[in-house]
Amino acid sequence: MDFTLTDEQKMFRDTVYRYGKEEIAPLCEESDLKGEFSFEIWKKLADMGLLGLPLPEELGGSGADVVTCCLAGEALGHAGVDGGSLLAWGAHTYLCASNIFSFGTEEQKKEYIPRLASGEWIGCMGLTEPGSGSDAASMRTTAVKKGDKYILNGSKTFITNAPVADVIVVFATVDRAKKHKGITAFIVKKGTPGFSTGQPFHKMGCKCSTTSEVFFEDCEVPEENLLGGEGDGWMIALSGVEWDRSTLISPFVGASIYGLDLCAKYANDRYQFNRPIREFQGVQRRIADMKVFIEAARLAVYRVATSKDNGQMLNPLQAAVSKVYAGDVGFEMSSEAVQIFGGYGFMHEYPVERNFRDAKLASIGGGTSDIMRMIVSRIMLMQ
Amino acid sequence: MDYELTAGQKKLQQDIAAFCVEEIVPWAKKLDESPRKEGCNLVKKNLKKLAQAGFLAAGLEGDKIDLVEHYIAGEEIAKACASTYISARASTFMCGGILKLFGTLEQKKRFLPALVKAEMIGAIAYTEAEAGADLASISTTASKKGDIWVLNGVKDLVANSPIADVFIVLAYTEEEAGTKGGMSLFVVEKNAKGLSIGEPIETMGLRGVPIAAVKLENCEAKEIVGGEPGKGYEQMERILKMGTVGIVSFCVGVGTSCMEKATQHAKAKKSFGKPIGLYQGVGFKLADMFTYNDLSRMLGLRAAWAMNEGENDADILGSCAKLFAGESATKIANLAMQVFAGHGYIKGTDIERLYRDAKFGEICEGSSEIQRTIIAKNELDKFV
Repeated sequence: MDFTLTDEQKMFRDTVYRYGKEEIAPLCEESDLKGEFSFEIWKKLADMGLLGLPLPEELGGSGADVVTCCLAGEALGHAGVDGGSLLAWGAHTYLCASNIFSFGTEEQKKEYIPRLASGEWIGCMGLTEPGSGSDAASMRTTAVKKGDKYILNGSKTFITNAPVADVIVVFATVDRAKKHKGITAFIVKKGTPGFSTGQPFHKMGCKCSTTSEVFFEDCEVPEENLLGGEGDGWMIALSGVEWDRSTLISPFVGASIYGLDLCAKYANDRYQFNRPIREFQGVQRRIADMKVFIEAARLAVYRVATSKDNGQMLNPLQAAVSKVYAGDVGFEMSSEAVQIFGGYGFMHEYPVERNFRDAKLASIGGGTSDIMRMIVSRIMLMQ
Repeated sequence: MDYELTAGQKKLQQDIAAFCVEEIVPWAKKLDESPRKEGCNLVKKNLKKLAQAGFLAAGLEGDKIDLVEHYIAGEEIAKACASTYISARASTFMCGGILKLFGTLEQKKRFLPALVKAEMIGAIAYTEAEAGADLASISTTASKKGDIWVLNGVKDLVANSPIADVFIVLAYTEEEAGTKGGMSLFVVEKNAKGLSIGEPIETMGLRGVPIAAVKLENCEAKEIVGGEPGKGYEQMERILKMGTVGIVSFCVGVGTSCMEKATQHAKAKKSFGKPIGLYQGVGFKLADMFTYNDLSRMLGLRAAWAMNEGENDADILGSCAKLFAGESATKIANLAMQVFAGHGYIKGTDIERLYRDAKFGEICEGSSEIQRTIIAKNELDKFV
């Protein structure tokens, strides 16, 4: 047992935190109010080498381990970078680029990874459909082999980055009767005939990421764009779970640290009845609960990351614990932060308001809390 | 980073678990139900058995206290029988731990081996009717008469007192100095003149832990822990901070037991033709039990490790862990009771006992309210 970070990891976290606070966080409020993806923020993330963080250096990445990736997400959230920008970063880096790196051919890696790592291209991943969320194996998007091409038909929804993406890793079935065994992954480039994206959705939170539907109408994808083999899609999608339960959660934990810092400052400065509100136990309770949440959630998130770094198989119980706890209780804590700020917390000008809207996504995206409980209870009942 | 227990730690865990299934689990119900005197004998037997197997010494054998090992042993013993663990802990960790940390060489030699072998039972007497979390308000005093100290006061809720051979007693040696130099911890043996133990108290849970008030009437004590007066408050604070780890292990032990029993029940019990665990109303409760118990364990081990390493925020991590685990244990016991429904509401069932036992974690040694105050102050002070 050893819970220490290496000096390199600590230094990296500090650097990213300072950079996020000085360079990125000041841009977030405006972008959030507009509800728009910010290319300026994207550029900043790229300049710091964050867009290719886990990818190897020879392909333009930074070669970071999973713990370091989590530290970056946590540091940026802590610095006050909004959930949407970090979601855009996460979807691009972990769901698109990492999948291409892990399952792609040498040619695919060479073509996509350097451009994704530099941020020149923006990536996204398409799994969810209007009719299939948690039950992804029932997807309807089809891929039919025709000569040296696959013809894709169907639509995807809630695709983070889709309106701005240059590359999508998309899942389609080559045979619906085979259910999950028929699911196959493809890399599709923007501009491919038959590929189009819908209007950006208006979202409740994580507004600096842009999200839309994706349509495939007799979209011809060359067979060299197959990611992995036919029928490998399900395994590829599941491999994303490790990222979902660690690196993609870490920004939310970081946002909770940011929320706690804001609340602690406010509780010291805000006076009512001739004393700072920190003296009221009702306020203290919320502060303490936030701190406990942060410690527990960090342990859960970094456990998933550490086991991936150590080459261990994903423990689905541990992964689910990380997701369900950080998601559900993180949202509760973001609500308590608004409560400490009272009326001010209800105003856009105060970041706890944005945190509250952003936090809700953690219990929905990448497997809802209900699905996490289903996974845990099924395993328990099997043992 | 590495979350894994070492091979040695895993072996300890397995050995204690296997031992407890054979030797401790079968007595848990009986211990809970026995009249006080009989219960005293039973719990002493359990301590003896654990001592003979070497498990009471877990974490206490090296130069320093190893809180990770202490945690591992605690969870397994508490899972088998919560009362046995709390009694063992009061003797070896609270009483023995104080002596190990602060005792003179002679005190250590005289008491520590005897405590971990259960040849002696220890107790620690600090709480009073008017002084729980607010230790400064104790009224027990000690005044020096020649080369002995004369103690006067009444200590309340002293675990193990009806069976204890040696007591650590907190008293004011210089009341005006307050907590800063005015308190001392005394070593008082059971045959000391002026020491008397009250009638065993009937408790809601942990009924196997003998507990009573301790009366000190011109009680003669020869020695102070470590020899010098004035350090009692800091010493007491230290053991309570380190003690959060053991309380977490208690909570997780009880939580695991609840969870395992509820899971078995949810598999076996059928309703409308299928096991109740397959209904989300029940299955999700199992998932929540697992989640909170798993997080409690991680927090407990994290705090234990941090204290072993002397990390700066170790004590705050201990407070976080104790708060979380205490509230999780009652939540988990409550969920388990709900899964068992009427079948758990019956006296003499395991769940009914665990439900009563679980509450202790939130109350003891720094209630949840006190932990929140400590944690909040620590966070708030960062931004003053």
